[in-house]
Amino acid sequence: MLPVLSLIVLIPLLFSAFAFLTKKREQARVVALMGTLITLILTLYMYFSFDSSSAAMQFEELASWIPSLGINYHLGVDGVSMPLILLNAIVIPLLILFTWDDVRSTPNRFYGLILAMQGAVIGVFISLDFFLFYVFWELTLIPLFFMVNIWGGPNKRHASIKFFIYTHVASLVMLLGIFGLYFAAWDQTGVANMGIAHLMSQFPMIGSGIARDAIFLALLFGFLVKLPIVPFHSWLPDAYAEAPTAGSVLFILLKIAGYGIFRVILPMLPATGSPDMMITILGLLGSVSIVYGAFLALSQKDLKRMVAYSSVSHMGFVALGAAGLVTLSISGAMFQQFSHGLILSIMFMSVGVIQASTGTRNINDLGGLATKMPKLAVIMMLAFMASLGLPGLTGFIAEFMVFTFSYVNVPTFVILALFGVVITAGYHLWAMQRTMFGVYNGKIGEVLDLSNVQTFSMAVIALLVLYFGLNPSPVLDMMITGSNEIVSLMAAMGV
Amino acid sequence: MVDFMLLAPEIIVALTGLIVLMIGIFMGSSSKNVLGYIATAGCLAALAMVIGNFSASALMFSDTLSVDPLSQFFKLVFLVVALIVSIASIKYTEDNTDTEIFYALVLFATFGMMFVASANDLMVLYVAFELASIATYALAGFEKNNPRSVEASMKYLLMGALSAALLLMGISFVYGATGTTSIPGIAQNMDVLASNAIGLLAIVLLIAGFGFKIALVPFHMWAPDTYQGSPSVVSALLAAGSKKMAFVAAFKVFIVALLAIQADWRVAFAILAVITMTYGNLVALSQRSVKRMLAYSSVAQAGYISMAFVVLTPMALTGGILYTLSHGFMKAGAFIATAAVVYMVIKEKRDTEIPDHLDNFKGLGKKMPITALCLTVFVFALAGIPPTAGYMSKFILFSSTIQSGMVWLAVIAILNSALSLYYYARLVRYMYAMPHEGEKVSEPVPYVAALLISLVGVMAIGLWPEPFIEIAMQAASVLVGGI
Repeated sequence: MLPVLSLIVLIPLLFSAFAFLTKKREQARVVALMGTLITLILTLYMYFSFDSSSAAMQFEELASWIPSLGINYHLGVDGVSMPLILLNAIVIPLLILFTWDDVRSTPNRFYGLILAMQGAVIGVFISLDFFLFYVFWELTLIPLFFMVNIWGGPNKRHASIKFFIYTHVASLVMLLGIFGLYFAAWDQTGVANMGIAHLMSQFPMIGSGIARDAIFLALLFGFLVKLPIVPFHSWLPDAYAEAPTAGSVLFILLKIAGYGIFRVILPMLPATGSPDMMITILGLLGSVSIVYGAFLALSQKDLKRMVAYSSVSHMGFVALGAAGLVTLSISGAMFQQFSHGLILSIMFMSVGVIQASTGTRNINDLGGLATKMPKLAVIMMLAFMASLGLPGLTGFIAEFMVFTFSYVNVPTFVILALFGVVITAGYHLWAMQRTMFGVYNGKIGEVLDLSNVQTFSMAVIALLVLYFGLNPSPVLDMMITGSNEIVSLMAAMGV
Repeated sequence: MVDFMLLAPEIIVALTGLIVLMIGIFMGSSSKNVLGYIATAGCLAALAMVIGNFSASALMFSDTLSVDPLSQFFKLVFLVVALIVSIASIKYTEDNTDTEIFYALVLFATFGMMFVASANDLMVLYVAFELASIATYALAGFEKNNPRSVEASMKYLLMGALSAALLLMGISFVYGATGTTSIPGIAQNMDVLASNAIGLLAIVLLIAGFGFKIALVPFHMWAPDTYQGSPSVVSALLAAGSKKMAFVAAFKVFIVALLAIQADWRVAFAILAVITMTYGNLVALSQRSVKRMLAYSSVAQAGYISMAFVVLTPMALTGGILYTLSHGFMKAGAFIATAAVVYMVIKEKRDTEIPDHLDNFKGLGKKMPITALCLTVFVFALAGIPPTAGYMSKFILFSSTIQSGMVWLAVIAILNSALSLYYYARLVRYMYAMPHEGEKVSEPVPYVAALLISLVGVMAIGLWPEPFIEIAMQAASVLVGGI
């Protein structure tokens, strides 16, 4: 059988190398588009032959890598990872189309980094071995660092290094947790094995409750910083806002932290020394992020920073849904990741277009753009409505599921988070009103609407937001199967 | 009966050194380029002999030399470094009238290091150690007309002479108490030393002696000046080769000979390792000269490797030994990339006092794409980003500290590792995000060849570590015998 999983990692990486070798912008973008389209075709093939009713790993590949340390090249997908791979495979070719006409320095590196990023992110989703997982996890840092550092805004140096060090420290703390887990399992079984499933199954057998808590918190810290969640979010606004549009979209597609929470944190949670405390941490930080992120977004003058903070607020739903601990709340959190990836991609693209055509993203300097940029106005409006949770669009389904089903186990945090919804609606509408509607600000001068390729790529994502908003089951079914499996794993550990 | 086949690598290196020296005298300076190729071929041949006899094990010359996987592993490290340095120096020594002296010194230094790796007696170890040191003192001052190079050499010589005296003093105490200089013999008579204050004194002197060469803080003072002032190819040899020689000597002396008093020296190494890595990284943060930054980073890396002495489990030793090989590739590569930049700066006749200043790395990604790419990989590897040799070695070494329950040490090491990322990332930022001055430079082939060899080494250990871990384990098992 075709090793699809290896291919969807290797093809982007291979084409990334090709893209680096090209000389001209025209060549680089064609190479990039080809690479991502092949990945998309393979992913779609995988998606359509995927069995959403099975919780088992599919398309598994296993080969020995470093036998003396028990490290294997082990790949597989299930309902938790499949939608996220699909998200990356769909959005990245559209992102390349979106940047089709952009003129920038060293385009070969630009497209090479996008492709490298795609390979690394998909690699995280399909790794079933902790070592491999960590390798891909760290690899995602490098393209993003360069993305911000080379093509970023005026404050790019500070932003890129801050992002790099902040998340690298978090990864290292996570690595300490992995070491702890690995050696504890090694002592118990007498065999070295880095398999994620193996380590998860050995976790409850660790004798000391403090050791279990320490390992769990180290891993949780790594994921929460990357997610990010209040109070570990301060790298995000700088990095997201300074990154070029494509970089911001890549940040948005970096759903590895939420994935880590579902894959690693939740199955371990019931076996920790004090599960109630861990649920409280996750739920409280989640709901605080929802509210605090919304307040921060409300106070921003820079449109891009506003969108960045709205991302903090949205990521709170992932943590809150995970803390809900029932199948449907967890599925809601997973769906939030998927939906957020689509919606925020459009929002960052819109901001990018506004900045490129008007030269500013200061909300107060804009106004009435809808009269000059009607196409942008329609698509942006849809994304903003989806982001604030309008029924019929994906954002609503995710937030509805998280709120409704998390109420079963963590009602207090849900009630707390509900306050955020009001503010969320407020800042979205207010921002739209000040930028797109009202009287046209004459100081801006002439502006151009979306080009055809930009319209195409944004419209396709917008249609997907609408489609999955009306009919979520193509991805939600497999998420529910995946969450069921997680819940049964938790039950097996004795909640 | 001595099996001379096992000594073939040493013999080849020494002979090549002599041949280069002899024929160089009779050659016109225009044709001296060929000497570099001869030296390279000699290193390659010796390397092949070492790999061919890797698992050999023998005692020779009244048990004063021991050929075992540990010695073979370190010979591999030294020869790889010598090979990389020889290739790169083909460009560096071009148009130089003293080419034969340069190569002869490089080869003799390597010869000394290889003998240290197989020494089984403290006297042999000391003599070989000095042979390598004296050759490197001369190499550091190879640019006779460059005051910085002369200063580097002078400082290195004075400090080196002092450390050699301390080392000899330490050896004499050990000899006085145990009555033997044979390493296994000392291990057998350790009970005399263990219950004696002389034991403690000997440890202090030995740590100081080796600490100078390893550049452990507070014995590191010479390192930044010497690494910066010396020609970059020589800095590569010092940081990647000569430092490893001190490590293998320390492995033998402490872990094999002085194992019985490990309680004493483990504490000392724990303190030194923590101070060294922290100080090295903190000071590296503020350096503007890239060679100086690499020197401090090298100090920090020595701190990481020293963790092997503290943890002292088979896994930690495997990690430490693998780290020496990885560091050989990464550091040699990084210094040679710097050498390429210095070459470019001199060629453009830019008016800078410090040719390796960070500003000269601006826009290197455009000016010298291969050099910049390789240097990026090397510094990320030094910072421990996967999938590189640096990550793999840190993975094994740091995880072994967790395994033996020293979480505090792992935390300190990991925080240091994160801290170091700042100055490495800054260098990368200068190379890729800053605008460049001047035209694109054609990169000299010898430098590129040396860089690519290092790059292959760094990536091979990162992507396919199994064979390297295996040989490092074999080497560690020689040390572990006593534990």
